[in-house]
Amino acid sequence: MKKRLVQFKKGDKVKIGCMECRCNFGNRLTELGLFEGSEIEIVKNDNFGPLVIKIFNSKIALGRGEATKIYGEKI
Amino acid sequence: MEKKYNNIIGLIGNPNVGKSTLFNVLTGAHQHVGNWPGKTVEKKEGTIDYKDKKIKIVDLPGLYSLNAYAEEEKIACDFILKDKPQAVVQIIDAQNLTRNLYLTLQLIEIGAPVVVALNMLDLASQQGIKIDIQALSTLLGVSVVKIDAKKKTGLDNLLDKILNYKKQPSKFTYDLKNKKASIRYAFINDLIKDVLIQDKKEIKKGLSDSFDNLVTNKYFGIPLFLLIILAVFQIIFKIAQPIINIIELSFEFLGIKIIDFLALWPAIPNWINSLLVDGIIGGVGGILVFIPIIAVLFFILGILEDSGYMARVAFVMDKFMHKLGLHGKAFLPLVLGFGCNVPAIMATRILEDKKDRLLVILMSPFISCGARLPIYVLFTALFFSAYQGWIIFSLYLLSIIIAVSMGLLFKKVLFKKLSTPFVIELPPYRWPALKNVLMYVWFNLWFFIKKAGTIILFFSVIVWLLASFPFGVEYGSLESLAGRIGQVIAPIFAPLGFGNWQSAVALLFGFGAKEVVVSTFGALTSDLTTLFTPLSAYAFMVFILLYMPCLAVLAVVKQETKSWRWPLFMVGYTTTVAWIASFIIYQGGRLLGLG
Repeated sequence: MKKRLVQFKKGDKVKIGCMECRCNFGNRLTELGLFEGSEIEIVKNDNFGPLVIKIFNSKIALGRGEATKIYGEKI
Repeated sequence: MEKKYNNIIGLIGNPNVGKSTLFNVLTGAHQHVGNWPGKTVEKKEGTIDYKDKKIKIVDLPGLYSLNAYAEEEKIACDFILKDKPQAVVQIIDAQNLTRNLYLTLQLIEIGAPVVVALNMLDLASQQGIKIDIQALSTLLGVSVVKIDAKKKTGLDNLLDKILNYKKQPSKFTYDLKNKKASIRYAFINDLIKDVLIQDKKEIKKGLSDSFDNLVTNKYFGIPLFLLIILAVFQIIFKIAQPIINIIELSFEFLGIKIIDFLALWPAIPNWINSLLVDGIIGGVGGILVFIPIIAVLFFILGILEDSGYMARVAFVMDKFMHKLGLHGKAFLPLVLGFGCNVPAIMATRILEDKKDRLLVILMSPFISCGARLPIYVLFTALFFSAYQGWIIFSLYLLSIIIAVSMGLLFKKVLFKKLSTPFVIELPPYRWPALKNVLMYVWFNLWFFIKKAGTIILFFSVIVWLLASFPFGVEYGSLESLAGRIGQVIAPIFAPLGFGNWQSAVALLFGFGAKEVVVSTFGALTSDLTTLFTPLSAYAFMVFILLYMPCLAVLAVVKQETKSWRWPLFMVGYTTTVAWIASFIIYQGGRLLGLG
């Protein structure tokens, strides 16, 4: 079941599905390791403010707006 | 005489991998900071003598990739391709090999002479990560050296590898022409399997994570940040005040000694005496006493930055900044503005969107910079000695409130819709490297001292001239030129509670550099308490906080916006805001019976 990234809870491990971000920003995320098929972990989601996700071994803060546009599947 | 460099090497790497630490350790004091030609990106260069060779080291901007969207990335590409360095050293954080190797691949793709310096292995092994360095080197086809930038180990080995750099045959099995990110990552994932041995055992939640939860908590995050700022000001005064007293006394002593000394030669006219003591020692000395405050301020800013806390500030402020149509990252230049507005305005380039940048640039002059602090210190010591820390904290709070309100206003009026994505790495907390922090303090302090020796010296002499002419009048009196100029402007400030001519002159000269306000008062009056009441003193500090930014800020705004329109607009609008705010405070205070 594909959900928006903002709908996942802390501790969920997510496989990234499609992303509908603007091209340039999509690239920025890709460099950091967030792209279709990559696996991440939700570190913080307070239903308020940005999310913190773990990509590889680093914590990345991601704005809510962007996280709404990224879909994923729980592993 | 300048010796020719034998070699040029570049340092490159992701942000927060220990790049600055390595640069500082390698070059020590032999470095200088400037800008890349024609760019607003900082260029750090240093030199090192190693085995009879003089090596120039260029610290490239921290970046995640070489795709050349951002100015930093273009600069790094240009340096590698055009300056043809002997070697490009990529510092890699061993804890995050996969992400770091993405840049390595891109470097290899463009044909850079890469040497990998693997840093933070000790932290990685605490997490159960082991790296087969030999395998990594073989698979990538580049030299890989183990270093510890903080403990300064492995550096000689690294330098040897650089000096003996030879291109190794690449054993790449993937098509270099295919530049899709997911293919690079797929390649890295394959490579990692042969290189990385990760213990499966679950890493226990570290202190870092629990601390992070507290700092980024949705209720406590912002109050905690404010608390830290308040603590910073208390610390600044507790540490710096005693040192300031000592410096003040020594300048007074110097003044007396000079008078005594000059008295030995009766032929020397009185005005030289006055120029030296009132003009130069009074002016420049009056500014240099604030060195301890500036030093402590930058020391603390440096610690907050180097420890990784600043990124969390961006995180907690994101929700709030969204109301301005900005995101959390836009808050960071504003925080830097507490040091000096010039780097703050330059730091707005971390924002990708031009409109976002302009908005933050327009907000930034209201952020109370270090140069305004001496004025607050002077006034609060005289009028609010019991609550010095609190009064100054209130000014800083006001500074943020006004900056934010203006941001909201501009967003409504000038730019209708703003939206830029927010993404920022939250680096692991670590103990700040003392050397990095001290370097940071030193560069900013040196800038301040240079300013004291140039702009402030210049304005001190001008103030002295205006206060002395025409000859024969009492120094700094109403009959002097300064007095007459002040008298003309002063009525503008009368409704704000400081319609005296001395304030008018001080404010006029504050345009050169805000610190000059302090030295001007030093020249024009011996007792400020006769000119101000506590209420008008507060209104004056508010005016100082908000009125037009100094020359250096306007110059950098011109440089960043590439037009005179914005700096000129800035002068007008900040001064208007300052006048209105001071008016409300002074007249409001009088209505409440405070004046």
